[in-house]
Amino acid sequence: MASKLWWLIHKDLMIEYRTRQTWTSMLLLCVIIAVVFSLQVKLPMEHRTATVSTMLWLAIIFASQVVVERTGIAEHQDGCWDALTQYPVSASTIYLAKLIVNLVAILALNCVMVPLFVVLTDVPLLLHAGAMSLVIGLGSLSVAAIGTLVSAATFGQRQRGAVLSLLALPLVLPVLLSASEATRLAATNDLGNQWWRWVQFLGAFTIVFVTLGIVLFGAMIEE
Amino acid sequence: MLPESNIAIQTHQLSKTIGTRRVLREIDWSIAKGECVALLGDNGAGKTTLLRCLAGSLQPTAGQVRWFGQAVSSDVRQRRIIGMVAHESRLYQPLTVRENLLFAARMHSLSDPMKRCDEVLDRVELGFCADRPTREISKGMCQRLSLARALIHDPPILLLDEPFSGLDSAGCDWLLDMLRDRRSEGRAICFSTHGDDWKHVADRVTRLKDGALLRANAIGDATAGDALRSAG
Repeated sequence: MASKLWWLIHKDLMIEYRTRQTWTSMLLLCVIIAVVFSLQVKLPMEHRTATVSTMLWLAIIFASQVVVERTGIAEHQDGCWDALTQYPVSASTIYLAKLIVNLVAILALNCVMVPLFVVLTDVPLLLHAGAMSLVIGLGSLSVAAIGTLVSAATFGQRQRGAVLSLLALPLVLPVLLSASEATRLAATNDLGNQWWRWVQFLGAFTIVFVTLGIVLFGAMIEE
Repeated sequence: MLPESNIAIQTHQLSKTIGTRRVLREIDWSIAKGECVALLGDNGAGKTTLLRCLAGSLQPTAGQVRWFGQAVSSDVRQRRIIGMVAHESRLYQPLTVRENLLFAARMHSLSDPMKRCDEVLDRVELGFCADRPTREISKGMCQRLSLARALIHDPPILLLDEPFSGLDSAGCDWLLDMLRDRRSEGRAICFSTHGDDWKHVADRVTRLKDGALLRANAIGDATAGDALRSAG
């Protein structure tokens, strides 16, 4: 399984390296959101921290929709998806491969977005780099898990992008809420019980959706 | 009736409904080892759906498909039995010819994927363009590559959906030779077609009409049975 998982991931990353379709679009979208937001919003630091934390995660969630949609489209061209589901590979392996590819993209996005928001808004998002990395890791994983699962449910649908957003956005609301709050608290040097509770909530949510993805992906892609 | 041990694919009362439309109706059918069967029928007759059900990529609404006497199950290891060439290329366009084949070989966990790729590329005469991106090769070469992908794990059953479409006469001759070779190796082959190419290679022809199987004929009796609907 590990070998097949690696070659599935390798194939997707190789396609992205050759076409540069997904990462370019997602980075462009996020940079535009960050620049426009930083130019338009003039708030005192206390309010700015809360707003920047929410905007950062909103940008990541919207960009992740682009990632998930594009990786799905690439797989569906020329009937490649049908071929993939005919190989002797379990659906959970395919799900994990897609999840990891989407996660790598979202983490790469974070590596650009967090420093960019710090520079443009002066909010010390990296005040506690370790704590922030934990929040980013869990938040990105849950966004990727939800996106990958919902993407499977919308395969073959007309207006796939719209349906994908319609289904995924309500599901990621708890991620938006908990990740924004944990980010705000980390940026205001408040790593107490409240921060830990938000991180625990985010972790539990991530575990639930990764597990659901592994269990349900097969049924969702059956036809 | 074929002896059970000689049957590669068998369907029992196979039906498929998509939406409200009954695409396949209670099909009882079988293909023996080493037999090449042509599947004919008008557009929308259900050929592609039948092939996809035979390949296990589409779940029947009712009935059963068996490969070598085993019911098609969710056990992914069973899929090694089937090699399929679909109407679409099913190839990753940004990857090279060799990378597409290597990916398929790795998904089938072949022991020496690189060596096997070279062998199959030579067999389908695509060795000269192995490192070219798939999007840069012609439709006929894509068809060869699709066949190479289906053959990479040496499956005992080969299913092909309109494999002659888009091929020039030299390409058709090449494909016919390839199918004859596979048949002589004892592979069970089933292909759908609209043309007359089947006459040069098929042992048997079966016609589908509105999702129902018309009488299966030996080659010399290909048209006489069209009007006769049979249960199997």
